[in-house]
Amino acid sequence: MNAWAALHVALLLVGPIYFVGIVNRTKSIWGGRRGPRLDQLFHDLVRLLRKEPVYSETTSVLVRAGPLVALATAIVAAAIAPVVSGYSILSFPYDFVVFAYLLGLGRMFLMLAALDTGSAFEGMGASREATFASFIEPAFFLTLGSFAVLSGESSFVRILAPSGHLGAGVIFGFVALLIFLQIEAARIPVDDPNTHLELTMIHEVMILDHSGPDLAALQTAAALKMFTCAGILAAVLNPFGIETHPAAATVTSIALIAATGVGVGLVESLVARLRMSALPRYALVAVLASVVSVGLVVLRGGNA
Amino acid sequence: MTLVIVAASVLILGAILACLVPSNGHRAAISIVSQALATALVEWAVLPVLFGAAELRSSFVRPPPVDEVALRVDALSAFFLAFSLPMTLLGSIYALGYLEAYFKKARHVGFHFALLNLTSLAFILIYALRNGLVFFFGWELAAISAWLLVIWDYPNQRIRFAGFNYLVSTHFSFLFLLAGFLVIHARTRSWDFDSFAAFLHQPSLARSVTFVLLMTSFGLKSAFFPFFHTWLPRAHSAAPAHVSALMSGVIHKAGLYGMVRVMTLVGEPEEWMGWYVIAFSATSAVGGVLYTAAQRDLKRLLGYSSTENVGIAGMGFGIGCLGLTWHNPTLATLGFAGGILHVLNHATFKCLLFYGAGSIYRMTHTIDLERLGGLAKKMPLTALFFLVGGVAISALPPLNGFVSELCIYAGLLGASASGVARGLLVGTAAVLAFVGAVSALSMTRAFGLSFLGAPRDPTATAHGEAPRSMLFTMALHAAGVVVLGLVPATGLSLVREPSRFVLAGAAPSAVIEQALATPLEILAPVARVGAILVATLATLALLRALLVRASRVHVTWGCGYTRVSPRMQYSGSSFSAQFRAFFGAILPLLRREKLPIGPFPATGEIKTHCVDAVERRMFKVLGEGEATIRRLVERISDDARLSFAAGLAVLVVVMGVVVMGARP
Repeated sequence: MNAWAALHVALLLVGPIYFVGIVNRTKSIWGGRRGPRLDQLFHDLVRLLRKEPVYSETTSVLVRAGPLVALATAIVAAAIAPVVSGYSILSFPYDFVVFAYLLGLGRMFLMLAALDTGSAFEGMGASREATFASFIEPAFFLTLGSFAVLSGESSFVRILAPSGHLGAGVIFGFVALLIFLQIEAARIPVDDPNTHLELTMIHEVMILDHSGPDLAALQTAAALKMFTCAGILAAVLNPFGIETHPAAATVTSIALIAATGVGVGLVESLVARLRMSALPRYALVAVLASVVSVGLVVLRGGNA
Repeated sequence: MTLVIVAASVLILGAILACLVPSNGHRAAISIVSQALATALVEWAVLPVLFGAAELRSSFVRPPPVDEVALRVDALSAFFLAFSLPMTLLGSIYALGYLEAYFKKARHVGFHFALLNLTSLAFILIYALRNGLVFFFGWELAAISAWLLVIWDYPNQRIRFAGFNYLVSTHFSFLFLLAGFLVIHARTRSWDFDSFAAFLHQPSLARSVTFVLLMTSFGLKSAFFPFFHTWLPRAHSAAPAHVSALMSGVIHKAGLYGMVRVMTLVGEPEEWMGWYVIAFSATSAVGGVLYTAAQRDLKRLLGYSSTENVGIAGMGFGIGCLGLTWHNPTLATLGFAGGILHVLNHATFKCLLFYGAGSIYRMTHTIDLERLGGLAKKMPLTALFFLVGGVAISALPPLNGFVSELCIYAGLLGASASGVARGLLVGTAAVLAFVGAVSALSMTRAFGLSFLGAPRDPTATAHGEAPRSMLFTMALHAAGVVVLGLVPATGLSLVREPSRFVLAGAAPSAVIEQALATPLEILAPVARVGAILVATLATLALLRALLVRASRVHVTWGCGYTRVSPRMQYSGSSFSAQFRAFFGAILPLLRREKLPIGPFPATGEIKTHCVDAVERRMFKVLGEGEATIRRLVERISDDARLSFAAGLAVLVVVMGVVVMGARP
C-alpha cells in the first residue's frame, strides 16, 4: 500500500503543473502557436513566491486567510479523490461527502477574501461563484449516489472503481461530472481563465487583489482542484482495477487524465463561453443528467 | 427526581424575587443566580441518565381531570433538559450586556429576567412531565413567556405586530396539539403518556389522524416551511437578540422533541409516516434556505435559517422512522442520532449567530446588511465568533454542523432499500447538498457584507467591541461549536442513549448495540480528516510566515477607476440577484423606484425588498376569505349539479363521523 501512497503523492506534486501545461499547450497548438513549456506553471509559482505581496488598505485578516484555506482544503480533498483509479490515501465510507464539503469550505473562504477588498467586481465574482456552486452541488451528489447504488459501495474510490460495464447510467453520470469539472475548475464554457475584462470573470475576478505568495497559493489550489476533477473523470472511465492489473490501471489512469487535459484544451479552443445568464441552465443540464442517471440505475435494479 | 422539583421551585422563587427587589442590577443578579442554581441541580440529576443510568421516575395523583401526573426523565428528556437550561442561562448573561442601556434608565428589567426564569421552568414541565394536561400548561407557559419576551420594546408598533403574529401562530399550533391529544383522550380516557403509547401502538385510522395532527402542531411550533414559518422572521427580527437566540435555538426545539416523542409513542411506524416527515422536512429545508439568500435584515435571515435547520433535523427523524419500519436498526440509528445531534448543533451555532447579530446591533444600532460593512476591524472577536458560527451552519467541515449532516447523508446514501425508495433517498441527499451550498452562499453574504469591506453607510459603524458579558457567551458557544466539530465523539456520546431509547424494542439488544456504534465508525475518519485539515492549515500558515517578510499597502484595484467610494461596493441585493432571479416565483422582489428623469435630474431612489411569498398569499387569502366563500356559496346554490355534489359530500362526511364515532 505504501507504494500506492507514494505514487499518489508524487502524482499530486507534479500532476497539476503538467495538467495545466497540457491544457495550455493544446490551446496553443490549436491556435497555431508553439505555446509555453509544459512546466510553465511551476516557474510562475516560483516567481510569485519570491514577490512581496501588496494588500488593499480596505482588507482585514481574511484576505490573508483565504488563500491558505483554499489551498489546504484543495490538498486534503485531493488526498481523498482517486487519481489512480481505485486508490487514494484517505479513503473511508462517505468520504465523497467530505470531499464536496471541503471544496465548499475552500470556496467560502475564497469568496470572503474577495469580499474583504470591498471591490464591486470581486463581490460580483463571489456572487457568481456561490450561485453556480449551489446549482452544481446536487448534480455531484446525485451522480455519486447513482454510482453508489450501482456499485453497492460507500467510499469515493470504491464507488468509482471499475464496474466492468459502461451502461447508460454511467454515461449520464459522466456528463454530469464533466460539467462539475468545468464549473468547479472555472473553465470554458463556464468561465474563461484568460479573459481580460473583469465584468465577465468568475474565478479570476475574485483573486484580482491577491499577489505574491497568496496568488501562488490560489493558483496551486486551482490547478490541484482541476487535476483532482480530471482524476475523478479518469476513474469513471478506467476499466482496470488496481488489484487485478496494477500496472495497466496506473498507466491507463495517467493516460486518461492527460487525455482529459487535451479534451479541456480542445473545448476551450472550439467552444465560446456561455452567456452569464445561460449558466444556471447549463448547470441544470448536469442536474438533469444526474437525475436520469439515478433513474436509470434505480429502475433497472442496478444494471444500468 | 427531587433535584428537578427543587430546581423548578428555585426558578419560581427567582422569578418572584426578580420582580420584587429594588434595583435593576439586583433583579438581574437574582435571576441569573437562581437559573445557575437550577441548571446545576438539573444537570446533576439528568447527566447520569444521559450516560446510561436508569431513568428518573416519580408520580403524584391529582383529582380528575388531571389524574396521574408522571414525572419521568428518560434519556430523550435528559438530552433536551441538559442543553436547554444552560443555554437559557447563557442567554440571560448575554442580556446583561445587551440591555445595559436600560439598566440605567427607569425601565424595570426584573420582569424580563423573570420571564427568562419561567422559560427555563417551561422546559422542565415540557421535558420531564408525562401528562397531557400538564404538558399543555408547559407548552403555554413557554409560548406566553416567549411572546412577552419578544415585545420587550413594546412601544414600537411593528414589534407589537410581530409579537401578536407569533401569539396567533403559536396558538394554531396549540389547537392542533389539543385536537391530537383529544382524539387520543377520547379513546383512552387518560392523559398519561403511557396510555397514549398503548393506543398509538395499534395501527388505526385514528392513529394516522393523530400522527398528522401532532406532526402539524410540532411543525408549527418549530416553524416548518411553508405556512408554519411566517411568524418567525418577523418575531426574530423584532425580539432582542438573546430572545431570538433562545427562541430559535432552544424554545422551538420543543417542537422537535415533540416529534421524536410521538415517534417513540407510536412504536413501529407505517412507511408513509417516514416519507411524510421526510417530505415536509425537505420542503422546509429548501424553502427556508431560499429565503435566507435574499434577506437584508440579518436577524430575519437567521430566522429563515432556523426553518431550514429544523427541516434538516426533521429529515433525520424521517429517515429514522423509515429505519424502524424497514427493521433496519443501522438506518434508524443514523437518522435519529443525526437528527437529535443536529438539534444540539443547531442550538449551539444558531444562538452564536444571533448573539453575533445582537453584538452588531448593540454597537451600530442597525442590522441592515445594506448599510453595514468593515466591522471585522472594529469588532474582531465578534467577527471571529460569527465566522465560526457561519462556517458551522453551512455544515462545512471541520465544525459541528457537518457532523450531524454526515450522519443524515450516511442514512440517505447508504440505506439498503429497494428500487424507487432508494432513488428517492438519493434525491433527498441531493436536496440536502443544495441546501448546504445555498446556506454557504447566504452565510458568505451575511458575513462578507457586515464584517468585510468598508461601511456602506458611514453612520453605521461600531466604536469598539461588544460588552464583555456578550463576548463571554459567544466565546462559550463558539468553543462548543469547535469541540463538537473537531471531536465528533463528544456529540455522539451525548446522543447515544437518546437514540437507544428511541430504538428500544425495535430489534434484539445486541443488534441495537451494534447499530449504535455505526455513527462513531463513520465519523472517526472524519475526525481524522479534520485534524489533518487543521495541521495542513497550520503548516501552510507557518510557511507563509517564513516566506512573507514584508508587504505593501495600496488601494483596492478599481479596474482603472480611481474615485471609488464605499457606496459602490457590491450590495446584498446584488450579491443574491442572479440566484434570486432564478427562483423568482418563490422569492418575489418588491421594488419601489423613483428614477431620475430629464437632462438635469434632481434626486432619485430605488428600494428593493424580498418579501415572503407565502405570507403575502396567506394574508391575501385571509383578507379576501369572506368574499371568496360568498362567491363559492353563490355558485353552489345557483348550479344544480354543484349543489347536489355538495350535499353528497356533506352526507358522506356526516355518515363517516357517525360511523367512526360509534366505534368503541
